[in-house]
Amino acid sequence: MSSGARFFLLQIVALLLAILFGALIGSAILLAIHKNPLEVYGLMVRFNLTRADSIGSILYKATPLILAGLATALSFRVNLFNIGVEGQYYIGAIAAAYVGFAVTGLPRAIHLPLVLLVGVAGGMLWALLPIVLKLRRGAHEVITTIMMNAIAGALVLYLLEPGILRDPAQAGTPRVRTPDVAPGAQIPSLLPLIHLLGLRVPESSRLNWLLLIGVALCVLFWWILGRWRFGYEVRAVAQNPDAAEAAGIGNQRIMFLMFILSGGVAGLVGLSDVLGYFGYYDIDFPKGYGFLGISIALLAKNNPIGVIAAALFFAFLDRGAQGIQVFAGAPREVITILQGLIILAIVVGYELLTRYIRAQRKREAQATPPLQPAAAPAGAGEGSD
Amino acid sequence: MESPEHFIELRGISKRFPGVVANDRISLEVRTGEIHALVGENGAGKSTLMKILYGLYQPDEGQIVVKGKVVPIDTPRQALELGIGMVHQHFMLIPRFTVAENVILGSEPTAGGRLAMAQAVQQIEALTRQYEFVLNPRELVANLSVGEQQRVEIIKVLYRGAELLILDEPTAVLVPQEVEDLFNNLRRLKEQGKTIIFISHNLEEVLEIADRITVLRGGAVVGTVPAAVTTKAQLAEMMVGRPVLLQIERPDVPAGDVRLAIRDLVVRGVRGRPVVRNVSLQVRRGEVYGIAGVQGNGQTELVEALVGLRPEAAGEIRVDGEDVTRQTVGAIKLLGVAHIPEDRQRRGLVLPMEVRENLILGYHRQTRFTDGPLLDLPAIDEFAQERIRAYDIRVPTTTTPALALSGGNQQKVIVAREFAFAPRVLVAAQPTRGLDIGATEFVEQQIMAAKAQGMAVLLVSANLDEVLSLSDRVGVMYKGELVAEFRHGEASPQELGLYMTGTKQQRAGAAAGSP
Amino acid sequence: MDLLLTLVSAALIASAIRLTVPILLTALGAVFSERGGVVNIGLEGMMIMGTFWGAAATHFVARGFPEFTAAHPNIAPLVGILAAAFVGTLFALIHAVVSITFRVNQIISGVTINLLAAGLARFLNILFFKVSTQSPGVNGFTPISIPLLRDIPGLAPLVQSISPVIPVALLVVLLGQWVLRRTRFGLRLRAVGEHPLAADTLGVNVYLMRYLGVLISGALAGMAGGYLAIEQGRGYLEGMTQGRGFIALAAMIFGNWWPLGALGASVLFGYFDAFSLRVVNLRIPYQFITVLPHIATILVLAGFVRRAQMPTADGLPYSKEEE
Repeated sequence: MSSGARFFLLQIVALLLAILFGALIGSAILLAIHKNPLEVYGLMVRFNLTRADSIGSILYKATPLILAGLATALSFRVNLFNIGVEGQYYIGAIAAAYVGFAVTGLPRAIHLPLVLLVGVAGGMLWALLPIVLKLRRGAHEVITTIMMNAIAGALVLYLLEPGILRDPAQAGTPRVRTPDVAPGAQIPSLLPLIHLLGLRVPESSRLNWLLLIGVALCVLFWWILGRWRFGYEVRAVAQNPDAAEAAGIGNQRIMFLMFILSGGVAGLVGLSDVLGYFGYYDIDFPKGYGFLGISIALLAKNNPIGVIAAALFFAFLDRGAQGIQVFAGAPREVITILQGLIILAIVVGYELLTRYIRAQRKREAQATPPLQPAAAPAGAGEGSD
Repeated sequence: MESPEHFIELRGISKRFPGVVANDRISLEVRTGEIHALVGENGAGKSTLMKILYGLYQPDEGQIVVKGKVVPIDTPRQALELGIGMVHQHFMLIPRFTVAENVILGSEPTAGGRLAMAQAVQQIEALTRQYEFVLNPRELVANLSVGEQQRVEIIKVLYRGAELLILDEPTAVLVPQEVEDLFNNLRRLKEQGKTIIFISHNLEEVLEIADRITVLRGGAVVGTVPAAVTTKAQLAEMMVGRPVLLQIERPDVPAGDVRLAIRDLVVRGVRGRPVVRNVSLQVRRGEVYGIAGVQGNGQTELVEALVGLRPEAAGEIRVDGEDVTRQTVGAIKLLGVAHIPEDRQRRGLVLPMEVRENLILGYHRQTRFTDGPLLDLPAIDEFAQERIRAYDIRVPTTTTPALALSGGNQQKVIVAREFAFAPRVLVAAQPTRGLDIGATEFVEQQIMAAKAQGMAVLLVSANLDEVLSLSDRVGVMYKGELVAEFRHGEASPQELGLYMTGTKQQRAGAAAGSP
Repeated sequence: MDLLLTLVSAALIASAIRLTVPILLTALGAVFSERGGVVNIGLEGMMIMGTFWGAAATHFVARGFPEFTAAHPNIAPLVGILAAAFVGTLFALIHAVVSITFRVNQIISGVTINLLAAGLARFLNILFFKVSTQSPGVNGFTPISIPLLRDIPGLAPLVQSISPVIPVALLVVLLGQWVLRRTRFGLRLRAVGEHPLAADTLGVNVYLMRYLGVLISGALAGMAGGYLAIEQGRGYLEGMTQGRGFIALAAMIFGNWWPLGALGASVLFGYFDAFSLRVVNLRIPYQFITVLPHIATILVLAGFVRRAQMPTADGLPYSKEEE
């Protein structure tokens, strides 16, 4: 087996070990609250795999996770920590909701792309200040983006005050939300396609086309980062900014682009709810996708294709959390802790593995005979980050 | 008190790292009160051996005998307790701390947790008086010269009662005058009964200061000889195992038209102070212009300005007549300015990237390597294989990451890359730093080949011998100015040393570069 | 005019100082961690754990020993503060192990700690109290009045009936400044943050120093959270930290990595906090006042307020043998 394939397998093993670690600690917690871990895990798996509505639910839950994970991963790829995906998606969502309900009379072929672009633009806008401050003034983007999250939260609260963007039709109810978006701005349901593929997903499923948009974006970025000249420059900037600079690569330009793209993708995260099933922006919509995005990016080692798998895994766990709460009486937060522990274990595992692989490669290269034969194999890139 | 004849004895010391045997059953003794030199190429195992002696590494086999007793040395603290003190090549000083704080760190005089600074300062002043060093304990290390910083390092070990001092490449950053000062200090220490181990590459210095010399090669001891009865050539042969060309052959190439012209270049550093002051020089086709000078006198910034990393620089730089002063790095590369950076791992390579990716670094935008926005991998790979063959780069595949290569092979990658696109000007900064004799020869030959091909070569090197033997003309940089210019053979190393320390200065007009 | 008076009223300043304490203690912790060279983004998570465990421990002591608590009302909150500090230290230990021993990127380690702490707080709250977002109410310390100062008129709100934790916090900061500047431990810690290799060659245990710095930061952040829950919130409420763990980092930067500097910056931020709570009648929507500290933090980080010099080796993992 080539060393590249071997190293890749090792990464999978590390992943599995981390999951095992999380499961073990989760078992300890379950035992402490008098639940049988095997029973709970078994129930979770059965719940997820045998119920008709589970697949739809998992895919639906995965949609924002894929986008959040991709957004975070894009910034991590240039060693920038965009912790602001959370705030970026609030802004993207409310901006999209606004253009969705305020503009009427447009056909879907125009309105929908417009609204999606507005979401992207909202996210980019919110990412602009942190990256400019970082590049111009050296302001650490971790803290500035976290501050921007808080400001976004306050801004959205303000915008949802009566008289601004709040839906007057909801007066008298505790609902705090925007008016419905125009039908032309709504993302169509994915159900027709799913049923065409023969998958049994109930009509009540909220699955929509944003899932495919997310997957397509992941594939696109994977291709760009792996095969494009731009991707080569991104890697150089991330792995050795000094050498990249001496090579004439515009480090700041690359960092700016990736960060803004990260913000743009983040702007799409909330649209599954806003433009999909619900058709409005509600203050009670799920929060916390930003931080889940970080977990997913870490799990996927910032690989866009890995993000899809990691997001599905987390969605799987999320769905399972629902199941064990309802059917086994175990609090769903056990799963949250499990997720946190897995991430902890995996970041340690990946670090150790990376060092081991480097040492191995050094040893290999030192045992090399001189002059290469003409047919030296040009293998596909070794397991890249 | 009678001291044993041997202060240190090493018996059968071995140390292995993954893939390499750094020390192979090394046995040697150092007599009390002598200056014992340790020489060898890079990778011969000198640093490792000293780190074992100083407690930073543990030997896999063997014993260390200090003053007649077999002792384990597990930590630097233990080494210090035994009287062994290390003066590092790369200073282990904290710039933001004062001299006193640096000296006492780890052995601080305290009054119940509180630092007794006044006491510390007193003790240090006593030491500097005793050994006739000139040093102010309250000064910030950041404000000291290189020579003064080295003295702080020496005081650090004396403060801890070291009887054996290990000096690791102490002269690498000093000019001839400072080297003499150091040697005087060492002789004074020897008079006071201290023992000294002196690690160096520089055979002349070693012959001057040492009593006995031990040569290491490939991790093993080749032999120990008294300095009085050996020669440079003999030592060099012991070091590499074959007779070594101490003089490189310079091709006889008539100098042509001016290819690189620098006029009144000013580069500013931190806080706006100029670190390159009105430097003007010219390099011709087929000429090697060497810049001598102690590191830190503006050479780094001069090179950066030439390759485009200092767009804010004032003055004028022309390549084959074209003004490149405010051009970007990429544009300058395209114009044919090749760059061998002084820090190859930092500026020259992206270590985690594949060798083939590193071989196109900086040139990757060319259409021959791209297919629209995509990289043309087959074309890149073909290019890489050709370069690997032509420069005999030892690497298993084109996709091996560069971090797996040895220093010499990494430098070959850079050289192979920079020579590939018919450059007009070659800027080579410290091109042989950290390389063993074989790799050094290779690089120097490539520089001569560049000269033969008609390039204008600007060679910046802290290695005075290298600069003098390779260059057609030599310029000396001191405090950012070009203070002297000589033709090949016009000045001796000693005289150059005088210029390098600002002791002497040519008239301003004479430094403006004339054939 | 009303506004101006409000701005400088003793009541507002007293309020500001009360609100400063959580940021102050955490900022002090941040100073110790980063002076050792370890960036601690996980302080928010440690603070969260402090808020939960502070409230929970106080509650259980008070409920488990009611007569004792009635007789000695300060014991329960004291146990709460200590428990908060202890758990904060435990989480700091995780961060230390992951980022110092395993050399995982310090930012990633910190962010992971925050995720874990948030999830754990929720889970434990359900486990102990059956609801997910808040604990039962607790009583805090008996308020004290500072002996000599309380007789000075006009100073009343500042020195009468204040939480005993406030003067303690102030003393801790002053102690921290002295330790960092004038003790052997402080010198070694700073050395390790500037040039760990140099310190190592002189026999200073780099790993130990860094661990201690991180553990101290966890204890202080936990204590800050405990104070927040016990003395201010009178109970745990999900999200009550409101990002103060991050604002504390800004205070540290503003204070140039010295405890006294962090004190000044924290007071300023506490002032903003106090201001946002009191002013309801201004024309500016209240939501924006609540994020004044956050905006101020961005300004500080953008260097519009001052240029700062961080410890040279801050954020860089250290390993003994070269690879």
